[in-house]
Amino acid sequence: MREELIRVEHVSKYFAGVKALDDVSFSINRGEIRGLVGENGSGKSTMIKIIAGVYEPDRGDIYINGKHYKRLTPIASIQEGIQVIYQDFSLFPNLTVAENIGINRVISKGGRVVNWKEVYESAKEGLSRVGTDISLDAITGKLPAADRQIIAIARALLEDARLIIMDEPTTALTQREIQYLFKTIKDLKKQGISILFVSHKLNEVKEISDSVLIFRDGKKVLDQEAEELDIKTMEYYMTGRRIDTSSIAYSEPEEAPPLLKVKNLNLNPYFSGISFELKPKEVLGITGLLGSGRTELALSLFGELPAESGEIWLEGKEIFIRRNQDAIKEGIAYVPEDRINEGLFLEQPISDNLIVTIADYLASKLGIISNQAKLKTAEEWVDRLEIKTPSVENPVSSLSGGNQQRVVLAKWLASNPKLLILNGPTVGVDVGSKTAIHELIRDLAKQGMGIILISDDIPELIQTCNRILLMRNGKIAEEFQREKVNEEELHRHLVAAKS
Amino acid sequence: MKKILNSHEFVVFLILVIISIVIGLRNPLFFSASAIFDIIRGSIVYCIMALGVLMVLISGNVDISFVAIAAMASYSTHMLLLGLGYTGGIGLYLVIAIFFGLLVGLAMAFITTQFNLPIFYVSLGYQTLWYGFNLFFVGRAMNFDLPEGLVGYYSRFLVRVKDPVAGETGLHVSVIYLLVIAIFIWWLLKYTTFGRGLYAMGGNREVAIRAGFNVKSITYLMLALSGGLAAVAGVIQSAYSRFFNPVLFMGQDLDVIAAVVIGGAAITGGRGSVIGTILGVVLIQVLNRGLIFMGVSAEWQKMVVGLVLIIFVSIPAIAERRQGRLKYFPVSKEK
Amino acid sequence: MKVNQNMAEQKRDKIFSRGFKFNIEDRVLLLSVVLIVLVIFFGVTKERFLTVNTIRSMAFQCPEIGLMGLGMAIAMIVNGINLSINDTANLSALVAGLSLIELAPLFVGYEFLLVIIAFLIAIGMGIACGALNGLLIGHIGVPPILATLASLTLYRGISVAVTGGKTLTGFPEELSVIGYQTVLGVPIPFIIFLVVGVLMYVVLEHTTFGFKVRMLGTNPTAAKFSGIDNKSITMKVYILSGILGAIAGIIVMSRTNSVAYEYGTRAYILQALLISVLGGISPGFGSIIGVLLATFTLQVISTGFNMLLLGVRGSSFFKDFSWGIIFIVILIIDHLMHRRRGIG
Repeated sequence: MREELIRVEHVSKYFAGVKALDDVSFSINRGEIRGLVGENGSGKSTMIKIIAGVYEPDRGDIYINGKHYKRLTPIASIQEGIQVIYQDFSLFPNLTVAENIGINRVISKGGRVVNWKEVYESAKEGLSRVGTDISLDAITGKLPAADRQIIAIARALLEDARLIIMDEPTTALTQREIQYLFKTIKDLKKQGISILFVSHKLNEVKEISDSVLIFRDGKKVLDQEAEELDIKTMEYYMTGRRIDTSSIAYSEPEEAPPLLKVKNLNLNPYFSGISFELKPKEVLGITGLLGSGRTELALSLFGELPAESGEIWLEGKEIFIRRNQDAIKEGIAYVPEDRINEGLFLEQPISDNLIVTIADYLASKLGIISNQAKLKTAEEWVDRLEIKTPSVENPVSSLSGGNQQRVVLAKWLASNPKLLILNGPTVGVDVGSKTAIHELIRDLAKQGMGIILISDDIPELIQTCNRILLMRNGKIAEEFQREKVNEEELHRHLVAAKS
Repeated sequence: MKKILNSHEFVVFLILVIISIVIGLRNPLFFSASAIFDIIRGSIVYCIMALGVLMVLISGNVDISFVAIAAMASYSTHMLLLGLGYTGGIGLYLVIAIFFGLLVGLAMAFITTQFNLPIFYVSLGYQTLWYGFNLFFVGRAMNFDLPEGLVGYYSRFLVRVKDPVAGETGLHVSVIYLLVIAIFIWWLLKYTTFGRGLYAMGGNREVAIRAGFNVKSITYLMLALSGGLAAVAGVIQSAYSRFFNPVLFMGQDLDVIAAVVIGGAAITGGRGSVIGTILGVVLIQVLNRGLIFMGVSAEWQKMVVGLVLIIFVSIPAIAERRQGRLKYFPVSKEK
Repeated sequence: MKVNQNMAEQKRDKIFSRGFKFNIEDRVLLLSVVLIVLVIFFGVTKERFLTVNTIRSMAFQCPEIGLMGLGMAIAMIVNGINLSINDTANLSALVAGLSLIELAPLFVGYEFLLVIIAFLIAIGMGIACGALNGLLIGHIGVPPILATLASLTLYRGISVAVTGGKTLTGFPEELSVIGYQTVLGVPIPFIIFLVVGVLMYVVLEHTTFGFKVRMLGTNPTAAKFSGIDNKSITMKVYILSGILGAIAGIIVMSRTNSVAYEYGTRAYILQALLISVLGGISPGFGSIIGVLLATFTLQVISTGFNMLLLGVRGSSFFKDFSWGIIFIVILIIDHLMHRRRGIG
């Protein structure tokens, strides 16, 4: 089965003089599962778009089924059997499953009249190729993410796909759903369909791929069989450096009364019987798979999803949190996972984003905010967190992911919280910012701020936390001391949670 | 069957039946043929306009210019034909008015697609523009000068009944127009790529473009049809009322949109049906006329309708809030 | 990350401003230019246009619609809309009018005090109307366009029911002070309009409340996660909108010395929307200066064409036609300006 499906040779691509792809060559065989790994800005999405015919390469050649292309168009790409499943699945939430799968065929044939029998038949055919039986009449938006993913795959298969490119396909899936997706991918492989699996989750790439490609700064830096690779090596090639953990100074938690004490916290159906303590100067990690209740627990402490029962004690005093404002008043801050939707006002100036939590404090008795005070505070935080921007008046949308995350952090640090809850603080952040954020977390802890770090990034947890709690099915299942656990072990326990 | 029982349309239908029964129990005359025919006649014109509004709402847009288009198309046609000494029936009126309506709709589509402007914004200017056009260029006064062919149009019935109070009344012929239009729009929405494209645009515009729907031409057809339907409604309404009015339907734009929304169309797009729209219009008509039958004085009617509207828009929002907490994370749970 | 960003943008895509953003300074500049050009045009073609009398009459006419435009604008900044603003104005004026009539026997000789009390009652009614909108939108979660559409019907219904559809007249002389008098030659309604405009400017641009309003309008989820009390801000915004409506209602009442449930119902909602959109208001953004300029622009067009076409049949209706055209042309120019710079 070593038959070549697509070969990319010496492809380069520039955007406004900046090299996005630099002399990249690789090939994908029929029935091969290729993993593609790289950080943001490594050129992997540019590569996807070149193969999909959306971008035209500046240099290089593409061969598909032996046919030579200088450049592809979207139509040519589809006709050659290439299908891309984007991260958002590109589905219509208000339409039925049948229509979402079947409508493309009607449009691509240029028809003006919809033959519903045909739509249903092709939808049925698409789903049978994936080997699943989602109800054709279900409204797509009401289905879980895994089903929507399957629908997107079914739709791709109907176009007689020979290569399916999946862009970060597991982002919205639970562990069980991921396993189901992997099974589907392996079935597709058996049918001779090739997969390009694009992800930043190294363990998943290693698990599913036959061979792995790693991009960094627009160059291909590694192309190897997955069996021969371990996660450490992949990480090294991806980031270009061994993360130096020794530089981060640890502070031992004080043997003082706990800063935060949570007793028997419940919220149906998300979590139950949660009890733990957080000591001053301690960084507490909470991990668990998607759906384990880790995010819901954080939101509960922050008042977004108030707990039904249980006690929360902060600095030796019981506090009652019914909504966000209660939590903030008590000195609890929350850096959300989805910073675009929950953390930032993208179109508004950086300065306004930075002062949003302290606007009342900055204002005079009459509620007037002086522009000067606003700018001064904003500039101070831009300096302190080294946010790279020409002006604090620029909109946040003009910043890179890492700098946007620094803005979210700064807006909460400005309120000088007692307890800082961070949910996935380094997702989609470049390596430089990631290290800076880790150092900042340790530094804040040393100054006495209580920190809860929620993450599924195992190296991150081990590097920054003193203690790690593992959640499973809404309960705290295990507890690990940093010095007594290594990455492999923690990963094993985390994945074991699916059983 | 279960699907039908759970649908919004069925709920509206049920409410319609319940309200009718309540009114009928208070005043059995409400169930007389004349009362029913009266409600049907009152609904026809608004249904025709509402079906145009329905398409726009499904696509995720809001348009309030259709009332002005109806007024411009019907009044301009009338003044034109009057000037030419036309004496015939409604046929030529409809043809010319529809032509005007389509033209004006296409022009609006040109503005919104060419300059990437939201339809709602353009329709704001468009409404003043066409009412102003009517009043300044065409004429300021209501015109009662009907051509021979239109005289008596208001009493052209398919089925006649004698009513002790209202005299002779019946099922008006224009119900045929409504039936033809409703079936046509239903077919468009269900069986054409244009119709499915409207739902797709309302569901997610970006994805619709990615999937290959020609969003521009869909917008052209949608606004042209909506303009044409408004024109038909304008002509029929004027023929009913026996005069042509330069400010026909002025101030009723929001009432029509409310009826379509009551019929289950989402103001945010992607949802709505022909049956629901017709039920929504009829419900408002029944409420309006029913209150008279219940002996509620005319002055209090509007207030009662307002209260009903407030309840109607609140119930789905409250229901959504109740499920809100569980819906917070729509990911399936780990077992 | 790219895809995520697109999704977020779509999610917050506002139905009234799909893929459409204003640059506020641009809009103020554009409106200023249009306004100056119009004034010069009318000034040159009609001598009478640039006289004290004409300017004063314009200053008498524009405040009521300008105030409703401000009330619409603040709702649109929180990504809402207030379709009930004109009926709020009428209902508030109506309640004030009724109390003027009912309480008149108690205040013989103190008519001025009575008028002030009536005004306060009107404002109270405006607050109540706004509070119902705020409740429906902020607390219950009804989409603003539907909530205010329903409340519009209710307020108009109450007005019809209370008056029996008739116009109320016969108010004390003191009432017309607001509608007819001038201070140093400047009409009182215009002074009220400017004072309210300045206050609104300060509130929106320089207070924590205005700051929160803009944040809430930009991204309600992030606002909530930043500790902003969305419900309370929404409530306050619609109450403020109701108060602005009530003030407009008072001015109408004292100018016409009468109250009618249907005053302006056919055109004022549309004009308030026109002013707000023309002024460059969009969710989270927009300046009060733009709204004021938009008000003046519409007034100049209306008065100017009236003079220009004096003697032509239906001349007063040309303004509607030209408003529509100028509004659409300004939207188009705005779009082209942005596209040329690669923003739009």
